[in-house]
Amino acid sequence: MNMVQPGTRILVADSDRAVLEMLQIRLDLAGYHALAARSGPAALEMAHNMRPAILVLDLAITEMSAFDVMAALQRDVSRPCGQILLVGKRLGVDEVKRGAALGVRACMLKPFSGADLVERVGKMLKPASPAPSPGAGFTPRPAPAGRPSPSSDVFI
Amino acid sequence: MIGGELRSDVATTFDVLSWELELAGARCIFLDTLIGKLLGTVAPEHREQLIEGIQAVDLLSQHLTGLSTFARSLSQTVGAPEQIEVGGALRSVTLGALADRMTSSFGGDEAGINDGDDAGDLDLF
Repeated sequence: MNMVQPGTRILVADSDRAVLEMLQIRLDLAGYHALAARSGPAALEMAHNMRPAILVLDLAITEMSAFDVMAALQRDVSRPCGQILLVGKRLGVDEVKRGAALGVRACMLKPFSGADLVERVGKMLKPASPAPSPGAGFTPRPAPAGRPSPSSDVFI
Repeated sequence: MIGGELRSDVATTFDVLSWELELAGARCIFLDTLIGKLLGTVAPEHREQLIEGIQAVDLLSQHLTGLSTFARSLSQTVGAPEQIEVGGALRSVTLGALADRMTSSFGGDEAGINDGDDAGDLDLF
């Protein structure tokens, strides 16, 4: 079990209210301070004001593309958020690569359970482990032509 | 408008169901934690009742999580892009915030009804 630093801020940016509320409850119960944003501009504003340790960003966030959100965060020298976890239904190799160039640390393919996300957040906040063996880092699994593989999570 | 003419593919329908079940499960876990905190504050003679309540909520949470996993799994295995009419079924959902969230998830117009806005029931038409 991961030891959670009490009050560690996690910002969840997702336009789907059920996903947003579910993740907020799950993260709060896990000991984090969960923040929620339903649009790209709201996510940017909250990231600036609250400086979360992790931004969980849905690829399909509305009012501003997820890539624009990430680009804006990358341009900001004040570094308003720690790490970015990109989530989405249609996360293919192209999206993962583009996200990685904009500072994404890990990706998760939707749908996932709340427990899955809490576990992933915990892993991202763990102190860095010794350097991985060559080839063990950026290994996105390509999404098949139809529906993507449900377990294709990626750490970058 | 909630529950009007609205179409969705089967995979998305199971997906939306799965998120709602997951949310309901998360609310149960929250309730479970809350009751657990109250346990130390009640008189010893009432504790057994409260423990039974915790067990019931815990079972309910697992029940919902299991159903959510089932629906999520179905959403990933359904291949055909067949569209189904979901608006009619949404009209039978009387919890306003739930119907509104699901309508929004299916791509319909959102009325902005939140869980705290009313007691739950909503006259749809």
